[in-house]
This record gives sequence, structure tokens and C-alpha cells, in this order.
Amino acid sequence: MKRWTVARGLRRAVGAVAAASLLIGVAACGGDADQQAGGEASAAANPEGIDDGTKLTLWTRAPLEAQAKALVQAYNSSHKNQVELTITPNDDYVTRVGAAAGSGNLPDLFAADIVYVPNWTEQGLFADITSRIDTLPNAAEINQGHLAAGTYEDKKYVLPFVLDLSVIFYNKKLYQEAGLDPAKGPTTLAEFKEHALAIQKLKKPGVYGTYFGGNCGGCGVFTWFPMIWASGEQPMNEDGTASNLNGAAAKEVYTMWRELVQAGAVAPASKEETGATWVGDFQQGKVGVMPYPATLLATADKSVEVGVTPIPGVNGGQSTFIGGDGIGISKDSKVTDQAWNFMSWLMSDAAQVEVLAKTNSTVARNDLVENKYATDPRVKIINQVASAPDSHTPVARNFQQAFNAAGSPWVTLFRNAVFGDGSSVDADNEAITEVLGQQ
Amino acid sequence: MATPVERRTEVPSAAPTSTIPEPAARRRVSGLSRRRRNQGWLYAAPTALFVTVFFLVPVLLVIQMSLSDWGLFAGNRGLNAPDNYTDALSNRLFWPAVWFTVKYTIITTVILIGIALGLALLVQEVVRWNSFLRTAFLVPSALGLASASLLFYALYAPQSGPFAQLLTALGIGDGTVSFLGSPNAALWSTVAVIVWRFAGFYMLLLLVGLQSISSDVYEAARVDGANRWQTFTNVTLPLLKSSLALCTILCITGSLLAFDQFYILTRGGPDNSTVTIVQLVYNTAFGGRNDLGVAAALSLVVLLALIVINAAQFRALRGKED
Amino acid sequence: MATSLRELVAVPTQRVLTGALALIFLFPLVWAAVASVAPQPGTAQVDGWGMGNYARLAGYQAGLAQYLLNSVLISGMTVIFTLAVSLLGGYAFAMFSFPGKNLLFLATLAILMVPYATLLIPLYVLLNRLGLQNSLVGLALVLTMFQLPFATFMMRISFESIPRELAESAYVDGCGTFTALLRILVPAVKPGLITVGLFAFLAAWNDFIAPLILINDSDKVPLPLAVANIRGQVMGVVDYGATEAGVVVLALPCVVLFLLLQRHYVRGFMSGALKG
Repeated sequence: MKRWTVARGLRRAVGAVAAASLLIGVAACGGDADQQAGGEASAAANPEGIDDGTKLTLWTRAPLEAQAKALVQAYNSSHKNQVELTITPNDDYVTRVGAAAGSGNLPDLFAADIVYVPNWTEQGLFADITSRIDTLPNAAEINQGHLAAGTYEDKKYVLPFVLDLSVIFYNKKLYQEAGLDPAKGPTTLAEFKEHALAIQKLKKPGVYGTYFGGNCGGCGVFTWFPMIWASGEQPMNEDGTASNLNGAAAKEVYTMWRELVQAGAVAPASKEETGATWVGDFQQGKVGVMPYPATLLATADKSVEVGVTPIPGVNGGQSTFIGGDGIGISKDSKVTDQAWNFMSWLMSDAAQVEVLAKTNSTVARNDLVENKYATDPRVKIINQVASAPDSHTPVARNFQQAFNAAGSPWVTLFRNAVFGDGSSVDADNEAITEVLGQQ
Repeated sequence: MATPVERRTEVPSAAPTSTIPEPAARRRVSGLSRRRRNQGWLYAAPTALFVTVFFLVPVLLVIQMSLSDWGLFAGNRGLNAPDNYTDALSNRLFWPAVWFTVKYTIITTVILIGIALGLALLVQEVVRWNSFLRTAFLVPSALGLASASLLFYALYAPQSGPFAQLLTALGIGDGTVSFLGSPNAALWSTVAVIVWRFAGFYMLLLLVGLQSISSDVYEAARVDGANRWQTFTNVTLPLLKSSLALCTILCITGSLLAFDQFYILTRGGPDNSTVTIVQLVYNTAFGGRNDLGVAAALSLVVLLALIVINAAQFRALRGKED
Repeated sequence: MATSLRELVAVPTQRVLTGALALIFLFPLVWAAVASVAPQPGTAQVDGWGMGNYARLAGYQAGLAQYLLNSVLISGMTVIFTLAVSLLGGYAFAMFSFPGKNLLFLATLAILMVPYATLLIPLYVLLNRLGLQNSLVGLALVLTMFQLPFATFMMRISFESIPRELAESAYVDGCGTFTALLRILVPAVKPGLITVGLFAFLAAWNDFIAPLILINDSDKVPLPLAVANIRGQVMGVVDYGATEAGVVVLALPCVVLFLLLQRHYVRGFMSGALKG
């Protein structure tokens, strides 16, 4: 008798487990509730979003840590909503977002390197915020380069989060020691080379003329595309499907860097620099002059006397890479109104002037370029080069795979050109075109 | 993911004596056996459930995915065979990754098994000192591969790491020695991590084999006048064959599937020189290309290669054991 | 005389040499423990000795406690699932005969043949469909599946090595199979259970690629993933100090467990082969 009871009990248990697993299977086959329809209605009703003490999640990448933390702190201390910030190492960011997006687990808000934004926008990772942006009071003043990157089929998905521009930083003290004028940075590529060689001649232990991310595709586009733009050339075609990085100006850029490497004016650690530490040495006073992210002006100022000048081309000119991150509301967010509250605050004076401008970061609104904190002439230079005619944000669907990804064809091209003899530039350029043109 | 050697222990074959008269016993046995059959199924049901849901279904799914246009965000967009396979094989990183993975596998297997054999020979006597040595060699096995990689990542630190400081103190290198900075250095540095982590484990497997060799055989060799080296090559090695074969199979399989250590130490760099096949699968699925179909195709290619290689090894094993 | 003189010299020399070898193997772990509290530029512990690195680790993003909890939950669930399933499964394979028994056993062992990487991508999609994506439970279920071949095999041979008299005596007196299992057989296979549990714990605690793909929320990740992330936080300088502290926290439970249960770890290998 006892045997039967036990067996039946066992059978019942197994049946329960089977039923439960069926339930789990049926339950969360949950499709994403379509919030777009509801979103339109509440966008009209709440132009600034809702501030009701919701917890919002925000992901950004490590290079923008300082600005992201400052913005989040300022928002949290003045609003009921609280933003929880997660910072991911740069190299992991794309795969992290990819895996989360594929399983419907993106955070409420996330920032994206502006060069990835076209790809991610097209793939539907961001929520449509066209009508919300249009109701912003200062919509017309927002940086057009970033807005355009996040526009797909006439719908807008992304706002500028932190603008990062590339400029030339130089160490004023080293300049003085080398007999260079500390008030003037290089205005042509030839001068850049001259200055780097002069610093190298000082032969100070551990100090080098210049530095660059020798194994970092992202650093390369950020710092060398402006050199090409300022020389009047375009690195890609109009729609970003073919590469022009074997043009005459581009080749001159590679030649200059090759000559610097051969002259020993480039720190040896550059060769393997994947981007994780490419800005470290300058802050420690070990580099004379190098193209650098403008967002780090405040940080670098703490340890080095920094001089700033726009990136020049072969014969002069000036340009910058209008990079940085765009930010959008993810497709998986269930609190879009509250998330929008953060985004709309981001575009306000409180955020742009009191947080970004105050720390010498570039503002995202053209009407705020002249603000009460922009007294530092270097900040003026940075702000002004952002609107120079040769300054761009490049747009290409496969930008990341062609340029930023580890071991991308771009990295192969410039490593061969700078550490090799430069003979394979045309062939390497073909490889880039191939990746850019992939569907 | 290594599994230890599985040895079936002898089942005592004592037959139970029955005091129940024959016909009743037979009746009872047949009723019992039907009940027991059903109960057998019940007890095996959880296993069956796991194996079906989390193993068989995914295997079918990955085959389907490899034949479909399956984007990470877009989902299943219908069949597109054999596009995924041609895409996977014509990826500019595919053959370099295969070549590197094979190179890494051969180097690691040879070095690791060699060192493990040496360690096993060293500690085979059952002496107190040897059990301390055995523990010392085995402790690294307690760590996960990721933990071991993180540990060595810190050890290999270019300026603050102990190895770098040691080299500088000895005057070798120009102050900027980089363990992970060049393709060859990265390869050998990673091999060092694996050897450290797994030497003890394979030593253990070989110890089992060594200890199954009876001392009579050694006695006979000594009587025949064989010296240490001859004993080793003519007596020990042949008798260790099956243990060595097991170790080789495990090591080859594990190395072909290497991922954790490269992801943490080099992320496939410098210059894509340390990209393994599994890293390629991961990057294809989530890193920009976002194509699960091609990633599935790639991973099936890996599975196929493994099956072929393991089958070949088994055949070689059986051939030798004649 | 000559022989014992040689022995007098040979044994200590051998001790020294092998001792040095042992030290080489132990050095990395010992160094990590020491370096995690030693002063180092570019870390949270620049001057003097102290727990600065651990403090940074503790306060990093969701906090060390959270990551530890995640790891404990994942490992705990994996161990419980593995033990439960393999206990019942091993019992079934060893003590019963039913149609499809060999097929099921082969299918379980076949899990070893299919590489991790091949299964993780469809598992990612499957978990999404089951609503188990980004969940500790889902991850534990996947890790359990990977443990099943070894665990089931181990439990099967553990049951099979129970003396037949003991097994038969369990079924006498009208004991049901389940009661027999609980009261008599489980204590008999306890060593096997401990080995299975230990392996399951170590595998789950240390797994890296599965959580990398299957867990998305940064406050649900287990410890190895968190430590891998903390390296690249400070702009421009890799924080080796925090990495060392993280490794110590990661390795400590494993090393302690291993030393305590070493006998069980080794017994699985040695049983049936060790003579004297």
C-alpha cells in the first residue's frame, strides 16, 4: 500500500513539473508591448517627460565616465527620478549592448558612440522620439551632426549626450624647454612633425615627442580623419559605402607618422596601444604633442599645462571629428516618459551650461557656445572648431566593423602604412571598401 | 570543461538467494518489473527533460539557425542555405583563426602533456613529501580559467607586474617589455597560463595510469638489466598509452575550443593574431555583424571538425592498442 | 657506505628542487594575495599597505556583495539542480531497466561531444523564448545541463557499486523505491554526491562565457564577469590592484573548498586504481 502512495505522489510531482514548464514556455513568449502608439499620446501631454521618482537605468562607455557621472549626479540631486549609471569598458560595449538588445533587456537609456548610432538606429534599438524632440524649445540649436547620425527615414531617435572633439594638445612646459613657442601649437602637418622631433631631441628619459593608438581603430579615425578633412579630402564617399583612404592627403598623413616612428619620436608603447590607455602618458607629462580628445581638457589640466590648437591638414586649415556619444531611449524601456525627462533635462541650460560648460566640456547647443563659463580661450578654440566647415561626423552603416572593431581593415591599413613601408595602402583600402559595402 | 577519467568499479556479482517458492516469485517479479519499469522512467524523467529541452532542442535549433537568415535583432527571416556557410568560410578572419587555433592546440598539448608526465613521474611514490607536492601542483586546478587568466593579466602588467620588474632588474629588455603586446609573446604567455592551470589536473590523470602498472613489470625489467631510460620508453610508456590518449583527447578538445583566456588576456589582439574560432563565433553573433545565422553556421563547422578529429584520434588509439 | 652517502645528498637536493617547483606553482596565488594589499601606483592603494583595493572592489557599481550573492545563487542553484537530477537519473540507470534507457544515457553523454560555443547561441534564443533570458535561474539551468554527463555517469557508477545485498535489503519490508532511495541508498552514495556537488560548484562559480552571453543586467552578473570589467574603469590606467583583489575573492572559496574536499576530488580519479 505504501508503495502505491509513494509512486503516485512521485507521478504527481513529475506532472506538476511538466505543467509548470509548459506554463513558463507559454507565459513569457511575451512580445514587446508596442509602446510607440502610447508614446505619441503622452509625448504631446508631457513635453518634459514625467518626474515621479522612477528608477532609470543608463549605460555608457568608459571614455566618457567623467561627464556621464557629472550629468547623472546633477540630475539625481535635482529630480525625483533617480538614474543608475553603468559604465562599461569601451571594448565590451558593442557586444554588451548587442546581447542585451537581442534578449530584450536594454536599459531605459543608453549612449552610443556616434559612429555606431546609424547602425543601431537602423536596427531599431532606439525608440522613436521625433515628436518629443520637435517639442523641445531649443530643438533648432541642437548639434546637427549628432542629430543626423540618429535620424533614419526622417525619424529622429538620438540626442547628443557628450560631444567629444579631437584637437591637438601640447605640453607647454616641454615646448618651452625645447625652444618652441608655448603659445602656439602646430598649424600644418609639417609643423607637427617639427615640434614632435624637437621634443624628442630633449632626450628626457621616458618622454617622447608624440603618441598615438597604434592598434586602435577608433583613435585613428578620431585623430587622423580631421587631418584628411582639413587637407580638403574625404576619407569615404558620400553614403559611407566606399573608402578613399588611399588618397593623396591620406598618404601624406601616413608618411608623416611613419617618419616620426622611424625617427624614434613616437613612444614605443604606441605600437600595441589598443586604446585602453592611449591618453595616459600625456597626462603624466611624458608626451610633447598629440591629437587628443577635447573632453579630457579638465582632467589633463590637473597634471599638465595644456595648450590647445585645432588639428591641421597638410597645408594648414582646421578640422575636428565631431564624435562623442549620442543617447536615446531604448526599445525595451517601459518608462519612456520618465526616461524622456532625463533627455529633455539634458538639453536644458541647467545641464549644458551648469554641468558641461562648467567643466570645460563642449556644449551640444549652438546657442550656448558663448556662455558664462567659456572664458578659457582654449575652450573657445574647441567650441569654434566644432562649427568649422571642414569638421564632420562621418556616417556609415558598417562604420564599426570597418574602423573601430579590433583588427579592422582600417587598423591593418594604417599599421602597415606607419610601421611598415606603406606599399600596401591601396590593397588595404580595398578591404575597407569591401566591409563598408556589406549588406 | 574537463572531465576526469571514469572508471567503472566492479559490481559484486553475488546472486541473492531467494526463499520464496518459484511460481509466486515469478508472479511477483513480473508485477514488480512493470512497476519498476514505470518508476524507472519517473526517476529518469528529470534527466530526460533537461536533455531534451536544454540540449536536443538547441542542437536542432542551431542547425535551423545555420540555414536561416537570422539576425540578432531582426530574428528569423527565413531559410537562406547555404549563404551562412559561404559567408562564414569566406570571412577574412576565418582561416587565420583556424590556423591560430590549431597552432595553439598543438603547442599547448605537447607542452602540457609533457610537463604533466614529468610531474606524475616525480610524485608517483606514495610518500608524505609527494602528497604535499601533489597538492601544490593541483591547487591551480581549483581556480576557474577566467580567474586564472585575470590573475596572470595582473602578473603580466607591463610596469607594475612582478615579471616585468624581474626582467628590468635583470637588465633584460628596454624597460617596456610587453608580455601580451606582440603576437608571439601573447601566444606563449597564454600557453603559460594554461600550463599552470592544467598541469596538476593532467598529472592526476597520468598518476592513475602510472599506479595501475604493477610493480612486477618494473621488477622484470630491472632483472633484465634495463636502465631508467629503457624502462621508461619500453615499459612505462606503452602501458600508459590509454591514459596518455585520454589526456591528449581532452587537451586537444579543450584547446580547440579556447575562449576565456584569450578574451581576458588579449581580446584577440594584437592585430587579430590571437583570435580563436570560438572568439570569432562570439564576435559574429554579438560584435557588430550581429548575425546569429552565420555564427550558428560557424559553430556547426567547429562541431564537425571536432567530431572528425576525435574520430580520427579514437581510430588511431584503437589501431595502436592492437 | 657510498650508497648511503649519495642518498644523504640526493634526497635533500631532490627536496630542494621539487620544493622549488612547488613554489613556482604556488607563487601566482600567493603573489596575488600579497599584491592586493600592497602599495601600487595607479590603484586605490597607492601608499602603504591596506585594504584600499578591496574597498574599491566593494564599492564598484552594484557592489561586491551583490556580485558575490549572484555567484552564490547561481552556483547554489546549479549544485542543487545537478544533485537532484543526477541522483534520480543515476538511480534510474543503475537500478532499473526501462525502454529507451540506453538511448537516454547516450544522449546525456552526447552533451560532452557538442562544444559549449555551439550550444550557447541557440540557448540564448531558447531562453528568450522561455522567458528565462537575463535570469539567474535560466543560467543555472544551462550550467546544470552541462554538468549532467559527468554527474549522471558518476552517480550511476556510485549506485552500481553498492553491494547487491544492501540494495535488495532496501526493497524488503514493503519499502517503496523512493523510501529505499532516501533512507538507505543515498547515504551509501554520499561520496559520489559530494564529488558531483563539488565539481558542479566549481564549474558554476568559475563559468565565464555563459553569463557573458546570457546575463545582461550589470547587477546580475556573477563575480568573474564583474572582476573582468573593473579592469578598464579608470580612464587611461588599468587598475591592476582591483583586479588582484578580485582574483583573491574569486579564488579563495575555490581553494578552500578544494583543500577541504581534496580527498573527494582525487578519490573520483583514484578509486579502483590505487593499490596500497
